Amino acid sequence: MMQFRLEKRREPSRFMLYATPVAAVFLTMVIGAIIFSAIGFDGIGAVREIFLTPLTNSYKWQDLGVKAAPLIIIGVGLSIAYRANVWNIGAEGQYIMGGLAATWVALASHGSGGWWTLPAMMLAGMAGGAAYGAIPALLKTRLNVNEILTSLMLTYASVQLIYYLVRAPWKDPMGMGFPQTRRFASEALLPNIFPGTIVHAGVPIAVIVALIAWFIMSRSVFGYQMRVVGAAPHAARYGGFSENKTIWLALLVSGGLAGLAGMLEVAGPFQRMVPGFPTNYGFTAIIVAFLGRLNPLGVIFAGIVMAITFVGGEVAQTTIGLSNSATGVFQAMMLFFLLAGDILVRYRLKRVVPQTEARV
Amino acid sequence: MTLNRRNLLKIGGAAAALPLLGSKAFAQTEPLKVGFVLVGTINDNGWNYAHNQGRLYLEEQLGDAVETVYVENVPEGPDCERVLRELAQQGCKLIFATSFGFGDSVIKVAEQFPDITFEHATGYMRADNVGTYNARFHEGRAVCGTIAGHMSQTGKAGYIGSFPIPEVVMGINSFVLAARKINPDFTITPVYISTWNDPAKEADAARAMIDQGIDIIAQHTDGPAALQVAEERGIVGGFGQGADMSAFAPQAQLTSIIDNWGPHYVKTAQAVLDGTWESKDSWPGLAEGEVQIGPYGPKVPEAVIAAAEAVKNGQIDGSFNIFTGPINDHTGAEKVAAGVTLTDAELLSMDWYVEGVIPPA
Repeated sequence: MMQFRLEKRREPSRFMLYATPVAAVFLTMVIGAIIFSAIGFDGIGAVREIFLTPLTNSYKWQDLGVKAAPLIIIGVGLSIAYRANVWNIGAEGQYIMGGLAATWVALASHGSGGWWTLPAMMLAGMAGGAAYGAIPALLKTRLNVNEILTSLMLTYASVQLIYYLVRAPWKDPMGMGFPQTRRFASEALLPNIFPGTIVHAGVPIAVIVALIAWFIMSRSVFGYQMRVVGAAPHAARYGGFSENKTIWLALLVSGGLAGLAGMLEVAGPFQRMVPGFPTNYGFTAIIVAFLGRLNPLGVIFAGIVMAITFVGGEVAQTTIGLSNSATGVFQAMMLFFLLAGDILVRYRLKRVVPQTEARV
Repeated sequence: MTLNRRNLLKIGGAAAALPLLGSKAFAQTEPLKVGFVLVGTINDNGWNYAHNQGRLYLEEQLGDAVETVYVENVPEGPDCERVLRELAQQGCKLIFATSFGFGDSVIKVAEQFPDITFEHATGYMRADNVGTYNARFHEGRAVCGTIAGHMSQTGKAGYIGSFPIPEVVMGINSFVLAARKINPDFTITPVYISTWNDPAKEADAARAMIDQGIDIIAQHTDGPAALQVAEERGIVGGFGQGADMSAFAPQAQLTSIIDNWGPHYVKTAQAVLDGTWESKDSWPGLAEGEVQIGPYGPKVPEAVIAAAEAVKNGQIDGSFNIFTGPINDHTGAEKVAAGVTLTDAELLSMDWYVEGVIPPA
């Protein structure tokens, strides 16, 4: 009997740390092609349509940008929180609350809006997301309730809140009874930055958010605090950083950014609040944050990679008839290879010589 | 293909060559390319299954003149817009968007592609290159309601709806109006689950309502989940929606409303091929065969089948209309006078419940 044991490496290789996400994507393509060929599909065609067509077809770039923007913004927030070992799983709920808060501003100012409408919606969105992130923070710091559970469960509550609001108080008077708000007035809609495309102002905002976050995380005391508390909690306490304060900051920042993404989505592509507003960006962004190595700059690339799989998944459906579930399989494989790669970067596989066969 | 080492090596080698591949150029083809956008999967055995059957019928009837593609599980929102654009850019000249919530996206994308014809199922917004089509499901609901009125022991039915839009409200009203012609005390409780397809939610709603004493269940969602619960709990029964669902509930399915989209798809594609297509609303029903009543279940007695057939045939020959007054609203106030029949326009904006509906909170 051969046995193996994982042994912690003293110093993970910096090169491998950055090479694993790339390797994970590449392995996903190779293994995906093999698996789908083996079960009788055009495996290579599937990989080509999912991973390459979105990049080679310039029409698809605008779709990639629009799909990646919310993933990047939420992913940046999550990467900051996860760095501090604060496990905010409820970004989807914070995204929804941000969207709802922005919708409230848009509806309340309908007909009397102006240049200030969009900035006000943006502030409301961030405040809404941050406030929703504050609930798990309060429960964690006061009552020591696990933030994974509370933030996740609050997501489901926020979905019900959308249903309630669009069915009764916010229902579009002209909507034939369909539960949705009215279409926002033009002052409350994000401008398109390239005429003739669908690329809205949220796309450059996503990049700017990531750059600012990178700068803060690597150059400021705040960033240092987040990293130290996450990496070495004892040392951080010794160094005078408050753990509770870190938890608050992590949840407020990640919630606020998720709320900003919600505002940009509702004022951009959706143009009104509908029951279909929650589209799992908050959950997908968890993969994005890890794929991006919890580094805001990495998150930009990871967001684009995830967007490619979404957009490419649709291409593969229409061109080679690959089922929609295949997209999910590819995304899951990517996360699996990434996590497996991470283990091997931090640990080495060591063969354990069995002691005595006689010990039954 | 079996998995052996040689094959694995072959595939692996091919996979390694992947980065060498560029984008595939799409050859311009002669046939009319028709795209379908579906809100659920073609395996839901209900709404989307029926649309896919229509797509296959279109291929079968028009053969080489058409080529079809579909995209399933498309959320009602900006994702739909992207899918529509994708289909347009791939050369589809006719695109069917088959769910109500795709409306905004269809109108937006249709503006960008004026030479492509769009048809939106169950919608109400049209443009020069956007038509709408629907089927008079409520005629089928009247048949189901008749059976429910005869067979229910408790006189209480539950109705799982997606969203309170006119199409759904119309079905609920038609069902309860028909049932109350048999049993004047019949009531129905709608529950809205805010989605077209979520088997877990549909089943939960069905269980909750059965616990509250209903013995008939109807649904305006896409799959057979509620019927499966009806089968499992042994209540009187329910009805298939969109397609025959007897495979999932052989005892509990009393009958089903079958959507037969094929003829509409053939007619529309032919009109586009001939250059005679124009934007309009198409709303056929039982008489045209776009709505059909499936086989009756083993529990339904002969006399009830005869009553159901009478309601069906009356609607086919035009002698019976479920929305002919007197009709009271749920508060008991008269809404439609005796002998007056609601117009199509009134039906398409229906936002009130008839007597016998216990409105949801």
